Amino acid sequence: MIENIFNENSASDEVPKKNYDELDEEVITKLRNNEITVDETVKNLEKWYKDELLDYCEKDCPSNDEIFAQYYHQMVHSSSLQDILLKEKNYASKISSFVLRMEQEIGELNQIQQEVMDSKINLLDVETTSDDINQLLAQQYSASNLMRKQYESELEAKKGHQRNEYREWITSQIGNKLMSSSDSTPVGNKASMFPNVCEKPFQLEESFTIYLGSQLKSMHNIRILAADITDLCSPLVNENNELMINGNIQLGVYSSSLCGIVVLVPPGKSQVSANKKIIRNANLSTEFHFDPIDTQLESIQDDLKKINEGSSETSMSTRLKPGDFFITKHSNLSQAHLIFHLVYDDSTTEMNSRHPCILGLRNILKVANSYDCHQLTIPALLKHQMSEEMTMSWCVRRAELVLKCTKGFMIESSSWSGSELSTLQLLLPHDISEELFMTISSMVPNIFRVANPKIL
Amino acid sequence: MCPSVSKSVSQLSALTFIAKSWHNDACSQNGLPLTPNSISILGKFQFLKTIEHENLTKYIDVQRGKHERTIVVSEYYGSPLTEVFLKIPSDERLETILKIFFHCANGLCHLHQKDIVHHNLEPSNVLLDENFNVKMFNYGLFYMTRDNDDEYVSFPVGNIRYLSPERMLGNHGNPKSDIWSLALIVIELLFEISLWVNMKFSQIVRKILSYCTAGGSVLEKLAREHNVLVKYNNLDIELRNFLESCLAIQSKDRPSAEEIISKETFLKFYDAIQYKEMKKSIVEMLPIERLELTQVYYLWQLTGGDVQAELKKEGLIRSEAPILTVPRLFMLQNGKSHPIHKSQSSLFDHRIVTLNTNNLTERLLLVPKRAFYPLLHCPRLPNNFGIEMQSLPLVIRERNIEYQFYRIVLFARLLKAYPFTHDLIVEQAKIDIPPLLRGRIWACLLNVLPNGKYERIDKVTPNPTDRQIEVDIPRCHQYDDFLSSPTGHQKLKRLLKAWVTAHPQYVYWQGLDSLTAPFLITNFNDEERAFLSLYNFIPKYLHNFFLKDNSMVIKEYLTKFSQLVMFHEPKLAKHLNSINFIPELFAIPWVLTMFSHVFPLHKILHLWDKLILGDSSYPLFIGIAILKQLKGTLLESGFNECILLFSDLPDIVMETCVTDSQKMYEKTPKSVCHRKHVLRTEEPEVFDINSVELSDIQREISSRISANDLVHLLKNKPNDVIVFDLRPQNEFKRWHIDGSLNLPFTNLMLSDRRLEALTIERNNLNNKVVVVISVSHENACLFAEFLVDCDVQMVCILHNSINTLRSIVPSILVGT
Repeated sequence: MIENIFNENSASDEVPKKNYDELDEEVITKLRNNEITVDETVKNLEKWYKDELLDYCEKDCPSNDEIFAQYYHQMVHSSSLQDILLKEKNYASKISSFVLRMEQEIGELNQIQQEVMDSKINLLDVETTSDDINQLLAQQYSASNLMRKQYESELEAKKGHQRNEYREWITSQIGNKLMSSSDSTPVGNKASMFPNVCEKPFQLEESFTIYLGSQLKSMHNIRILAADITDLCSPLVNENNELMINGNIQLGVYSSSLCGIVVLVPPGKSQVSANKKIIRNANLSTEFHFDPIDTQLESIQDDLKKINEGSSETSMSTRLKPGDFFITKHSNLSQAHLIFHLVYDDSTTEMNSRHPCILGLRNILKVANSYDCHQLTIPALLKHQMSEEMTMSWCVRRAELVLKCTKGFMIESSSWSGSELSTLQLLLPHDISEELFMTISSMVPNIFRVANPKIL
Repeated sequence: MCPSVSKSVSQLSALTFIAKSWHNDACSQNGLPLTPNSISILGKFQFLKTIEHENLTKYIDVQRGKHERTIVVSEYYGSPLTEVFLKIPSDERLETILKIFFHCANGLCHLHQKDIVHHNLEPSNVLLDENFNVKMFNYGLFYMTRDNDDEYVSFPVGNIRYLSPERMLGNHGNPKSDIWSLALIVIELLFEISLWVNMKFSQIVRKILSYCTAGGSVLEKLAREHNVLVKYNNLDIELRNFLESCLAIQSKDRPSAEEIISKETFLKFYDAIQYKEMKKSIVEMLPIERLELTQVYYLWQLTGGDVQAELKKEGLIRSEAPILTVPRLFMLQNGKSHPIHKSQSSLFDHRIVTLNTNNLTERLLLVPKRAFYPLLHCPRLPNNFGIEMQSLPLVIRERNIEYQFYRIVLFARLLKAYPFTHDLIVEQAKIDIPPLLRGRIWACLLNVLPNGKYERIDKVTPNPTDRQIEVDIPRCHQYDDFLSSPTGHQKLKRLLKAWVTAHPQYVYWQGLDSLTAPFLITNFNDEERAFLSLYNFIPKYLHNFFLKDNSMVIKEYLTKFSQLVMFHEPKLAKHLNSINFIPELFAIPWVLTMFSHVFPLHKILHLWDKLILGDSSYPLFIGIAILKQLKGTLLESGFNECILLFSDLPDIVMETCVTDSQKMYEKTPKSVCHRKHVLRTEEPEVFDINSVELSDIQREISSRISANDLVHLLKNKPNDVIVFDLRPQNEFKRWHIDGSLNLPFTNLMLSDRRLEALTIERNNLNNKVVVVISVSHENACLFAEFLVDCDVQMVCILHNSINTLRSIVPSILVGT
């Protein structure tokens, strides 16, 4: 039967062969006619080989950060974890109490100054002239500024000192460690996670296990919770000097399972700026691993300038636009290694799946995917606070949009060949009503396919 | 210069590099996401696995890691030329060099015939054993990392010293470029020099480019520059001229590899340059030397071998902590992050690691020697290795090294003797199928015999179905690396077009792509086998499903499906009927793709392992097994919930599904599954079911059983069957089936839908085929309906009236 069906005179499916000899002759002739210059060829080849091949490149030593990363990762994944946490706690409590004292004294000074000023103003035109008041104002300002500067430089010195001491201590410890044992996990391995419970459990939260994909299904966790964004970026120690984090952040900092949080920042400012409370929290203890947050923000500003210098378009302003985001790195906040500061603005256009902020969210997921960020927290309403115009139906519509888009991006991410998100946290404003929370959390199983309970 | 960093002797080696990543994430032309380059490489690589030649090392596997990490596993052999260089005995120097020359050219010739250019030829990629036999290594790097003008990696391939002028000028793909590199290697050996050792990169490039413009003999210049003019002058004139032609500036003036090996120079040394294999007796051989390298690698992985871990251990995969490389800024407008961090750990490192196989050797030393060469037809020494493990779950058997070893050795032997061993293969496949040989075993089970016709089918001429095929392919099991690679797409397209061309009576229905996918991934390098497997598979299970008007076939199939759900799961079937959730709403993609559209590939493979052993009715039971697994949810759901549930099917436990369907398949008499539209090899007899029309099965809730099947059951498994005889008592008394129960229809009160009302014990019916026989077919149907209403399983009606029985087998009948 087969014989009758097969078509005997088939067409060939081969691509016509190039005439390589002719092509080669062409380039050689070009070289001989100086249409291709030797210098150019040499330069390009050399650059190509040196940029791409380990044999040809100028080998540079691993940077200090890389070496420290290795040391620290080994240390933190050993019995020294307790010591490290204790040390960090002691350092942090010194800084935080110092900061508190500074804030208090500056506050007190301001109050006294205010009182003096008030009394002077009351006596205006009686005993004092406006010149007197201006003079006093200048005096007060310089006094309070002096005090702030003094404190700040002291703080900076303290932090610098701590940082050096700490890093030296880690480096010295690793020597002893290497002598005694070698039971450590290499850099890049997953951090062994402690149960991810915070000291202060959130009032409203719910967890789901979901499957994504039509044929091959991948499993992910979704946690929906109502909290203040700063609670997820809380400092190492609280006011009562208690350690607020349980080591997860320390264990994970150089691992390939990072935690990230999306924080919304308003657009339009020429200066790159982050959420003030988060900056304060980050400054409540020494950042041992990365630059202080203010320095990080400055480098971002510099990057932005450089980009604009490089681009010929004049339309590019130095301001960040909605959908752009910048990233800061942290080791001293409770639930985040990476903070994605997403420039957010919904005042101009209707929010839909093509809105710049949604596209920015997609890019965040993409960056998270390429840099092993396994847990990501996103504001599910793209708002950090409730407000008047956020009615029930508005919130439901907005949550549906964000959830559906995120689902789409997560499905898409399986083809990005990075590491997939294992936990997605959906953050709702802390002042959300319980009813609304329930409504939105009940949307999760409708939008995502929730895993069936396993029946054995 | 030694490329290997580890010392242990092994036949397996691994090389790793990072594929180019897509920086801006534009979509491809069809609006679908871009294929990661590592996947394109993986697809391109597969062809290299088919290359077997005595002067080429074998490629074994390619793996993908995170972040475009690509790992290539290949054979390793002896030591590189860079090490052996000095060990060449001086008295046989010329012969040995010529041998190396000849072997390399021989390998190149084979590659060039297959349209592969080496482009990576340098002494460290030329491996030699003690007898100076050559195997070229790493010859596929250029081939797998490029496709026409697409480059899948950013790094250059080829040592700059051995690069021909046209390659320096940016031309690639000419096999003659390899001849230049080969000539330089031979010259280094002949002159006992290393070329340009103290020169900088840029000087080397300038040097070679200067040859292009200057003219004159390149060879002479080389000799002069390296102070070996004496050797140059003493060189055999014929050989010298020949080498000079190999170093011609214009590639057209160089000889091809084929011309080199047919050169007379080599004839003079015919004996000296032959490939001398060291023959080892079987007793001397290490266990792993008795196996094929692909088998060794497969088993090595089962012993816990992990290529990534080996590479990490030797520092060839260095990963920096990701947090140190995170960019600071990401602009939406241009989709780029800043600053871009390029770390040295992502550069191409051409060093390799050899994979330590000691663990595997130790495990295999414990295996009885006889197991390496199992006897198939010797009753005195039965082949029962691993028989004690057969009761373990399949997942465990598939991960057990000894068990897989026994299975692979056995099947490899059986496959060699196919088709004569067809029955033995079926018998063994019933136990399980080793994943390594699945494609070949399936083909045997489907009676495939390669006939060379696939090559001649027209797979190119455009036709109206192309558009649909183009749309379907990029949506077919794209999570799978093989199927999402450009090579996979091309192959799938060829297979589909070939199938359509070969079946003018049929049309391309969507779903054929999913149906082809399992055959493609199990036979990725053997399109003919994939095609013929599909070619035989479709008539067996989907006869006439691909007719332009397939409505009658599908209608009959789905009605039969409903009947069989009623047969095995009456309660569920009634619920689905009551909410009007008919199979047309969910089962069409199941059937039309034999479930390959519904499940991920790894599950389909296990499912089809059993399916292929069954007949055309087997898929029906898979459908029932799926429903059975969802039974709890379905019984609680209404129409809308059911639709939603099936639109995104929850995770199905495949092992349960397979065993359930297997059980049902075995318990169900063949005639109960009777359909008109199946491919029949023999005509039905009088006592089989025939002439049952679609309207009949649409009307009847319960299936019919043939007289032949009933007799067979009564004779062989009398405990598995219970017969209700509805005739009046007096007729029953005259003659009846031994053991049957008489319930005269006229006396029955069927309005009370409880078994107890008719004093039938439910326990007597459990797990038995319940056959209703009557003179009046309508009565039988009514009674069967009653039984089903009482949730009795496996109810069927005797086809044609009871009187047919009298004519065949009076022996089962008794009378008073």
